[in-house]
Amino acid sequence: MSDKTIGDSLREQGISRRGFLKFCATTASLLALPPAMIPQIAYALENTPRQSVIWLSFQECTGCTESLTRSHAPTIEGLIFDHISLDYHHTLQAAAGSAAERAREEAMKKNHGKYLLIVDGSIPTGNPGYSTIAGISNLDMLKEVAAGAAAIVAIGTCAAFGGLPKAAPNPTGAMSVSDLITDKPIINVPGCPPIPIVMTAVIAHFITFGKLPQLDNLNRPMAFYGQNIHDRCYRRPFYEKGLFANTFDDEGAKKGWCLYKLGCKGPTTYNACATTKWNDGVSFPIESGHGCLGCSEPQFWDGGSFYKPLSVPTIKVHDVMAYTAIAGAAVGLTVGGLNAMKKTNAVKQHETVTIDDLERK
Amino acid sequence: MSTATFERGYAAFKEQIDSPIAAFFNSCVHCGMCAEACLFYTETGDPKYTPIHKLEPLRKVWYQEYTLLGRLTSLLGLTERLTDADLAEWKHLIYDSCTLCGRCSVVCPVGNDLVYMIRKAREGMVAAGHSPEGQIGAAKRAVIIGSPMGVQFVTLQAQIKHAEKTTGLTIPIDQTGVEFLVVLSSMEIINYPEYLEAIAKIMHQADKTWTLCSSAFEATNTGIQIGSSDIARQLVNRIVEAAENLRVKTVISPECGHAYTVLRWEGPNLIGRPYRFKVRHIIEVLDEFRAGGKLKTEGFEEARLTFHDPCQLVRRGGVIEQPRKLLGMVARNFVEMEDAGKMNWCCGGGGGVSAIDEAEELRTKVFNRKKIQLEKLKVDTLVTACANCRIILEEGLEAYEMDLPVVGLTEMIAEHLVEDK
Repeated sequence: MSDKTIGDSLREQGISRRGFLKFCATTASLLALPPAMIPQIAYALENTPRQSVIWLSFQECTGCTESLTRSHAPTIEGLIFDHISLDYHHTLQAAAGSAAERAREEAMKKNHGKYLLIVDGSIPTGNPGYSTIAGISNLDMLKEVAAGAAAIVAIGTCAAFGGLPKAAPNPTGAMSVSDLITDKPIINVPGCPPIPIVMTAVIAHFITFGKLPQLDNLNRPMAFYGQNIHDRCYRRPFYEKGLFANTFDDEGAKKGWCLYKLGCKGPTTYNACATTKWNDGVSFPIESGHGCLGCSEPQFWDGGSFYKPLSVPTIKVHDVMAYTAIAGAAVGLTVGGLNAMKKTNAVKQHETVTIDDLERK
Repeated sequence: MSTATFERGYAAFKEQIDSPIAAFFNSCVHCGMCAEACLFYTETGDPKYTPIHKLEPLRKVWYQEYTLLGRLTSLLGLTERLTDADLAEWKHLIYDSCTLCGRCSVVCPVGNDLVYMIRKAREGMVAAGHSPEGQIGAAKRAVIIGSPMGVQFVTLQAQIKHAEKTTGLTIPIDQTGVEFLVVLSSMEIINYPEYLEAIAKIMHQADKTWTLCSSAFEATNTGIQIGSSDIARQLVNRIVEAAENLRVKTVISPECGHAYTVLRWEGPNLIGRPYRFKVRHIIEVLDEFRAGGKLKTEGFEEARLTFHDPCQLVRRGGVIEQPRKLLGMVARNFVEMEDAGKMNWCCGGGGGVSAIDEAEELRTKVFNRKKIQLEKLKVDTLVTACANCRIILEEGLEAYEMDLPVVGLTEMIAEHLVEDK
């Protein structure tokens, strides 16, 4: 099965050449690659034997897989997943039990050093019994599969940063992939869940160029995580004008003003939601009237209430301002009064200068 | 008998600091643009001539006496107090190297009126006994004799006789109810008597009544130059009393920059009330005559000439267009120098600097700026409208061995008046 090229598979599925090239162009633009790269992507995707992928799910909610599979099929990002060689994914595969595990072992053996490992979910490091698959602890399975992987993609915030399982008090001792594996190239595709097209584009990039795309300091692909939501948000002009919604049902909310005061984490969150949007570009949380939760950032569960605004004074601004103004005015009046007295005295003490006073005697 | 002391000077500094000065010191952004505007800096390259630096004694008093931080730090002995030695050192900066030309005030991006501050700082310097000898002498002569150059009315009378002979016109003295009271500067009486003749001729042609006054013929005010309001008030009062006693409508300031500034702008503040007459510079009056068709000239100057703007006239008085319109009546070959008008460079001798002997060397050095301006033009004649500028220009031109006659604008106009009227 994995000897077939992607191109072969696509044609078998009745995907037109035009549809395929459109996908290549979309991928190139998403990754901010020059248009000249489109033929290269097409060539690579058409002629590469399908990339063997092993997908491991640990402490997760299956939301990442849901995001991927529910993604506006039959668009092309759904298709490419049909046409990589997804050799193991215990949620999606038909096989079960020992047959499933055998498929994983076979793929690992056959493609040793070449397969791509995708992980979703965090790894418990407390009691190994917290999460097991076929009696193997998550930690053991990760180490075993990672050993032969060409690269690892940590899909979702749990795999990338620990996510919800790692949230205080972290009862399972959950850790992210990069906490545990240090000798393999790792790319983090955080989000709860990540945007489908971001996942497919990263995989397409890996297939085309055989290496990871440019990453930021948190190992996230720059093409998608390079700008924050706030800078790209269509509600940004309201922020600049100081027009905010103060509750979810006030005039401001109805008029679509900025959700900053309702706790929107857009200013500190780096993701592509405001540009690629969700559900085939239909919308994204802020467009639906709710602030950004900051799900693609580390520790987002432990960052305080979703509805607490970023850096808004905790004190009563008006009162403090009033007292400060009064105190300032009092100091000003006192100093001014003293100065006026000093000046008045100086003027009073003025000795008229005559031509006899011009020299020292 | 009272005397100048440091304490008296310090008290005067304290007295002089007002809200504009506090605002100016607070606003200074230390950009240094005033340095580039000052010819004492541009011609020497010495940063001590930066205008705001010249105000350091005044700033120290402001900081120590009128700011919260300054009061606290001087209470704890953390600030350097102003000393008598400071004042002795700054005498050169406050007097010798400032002509009150006002270029720095014009360029200051935060609007600090540095000339106003220098003027105020001089009050402190006078009270502390740190004013220059030359100016002290001039002030004494002005108060005692009636003129900074020691000119007495008898001297003027001689010049009047001479002018009456030359022009065939009567020069009225102490006449009441006339339109104009003409006041003069000593320089015009001694060095340029042609000015008086020109006035007689022009008034005659324009058919205007005018007079000189035996008790107030001198317009210059050494009080302002040395920086003593008390003396300045005494001197300006002579003219105010004379003008009001003679019931004139307008007092004409002579071709003298500081006389004009004092009479027109500072006088009412010094005496604490508005005048009951108007004050105009002779150039303003001549331009009014011109506009009213009362000035009829014939012939044109053949020489290529340019005009040196007196600082007080352009920057304090805004008299920029008038001299050019007047020149247009009598000159065909007029060229403007670089920076002409509002930003023209000072001759180097204004603000009383011309009376300071120690300043002469520096004054000659900085005249280089005017020399550069003039050299570019290759003119035959230099016209101006200030007797003090005229003397300094003549001295400077001589020092740099440039052969260029300097002429007063009023005289030039008078020479072209249509005769036999």
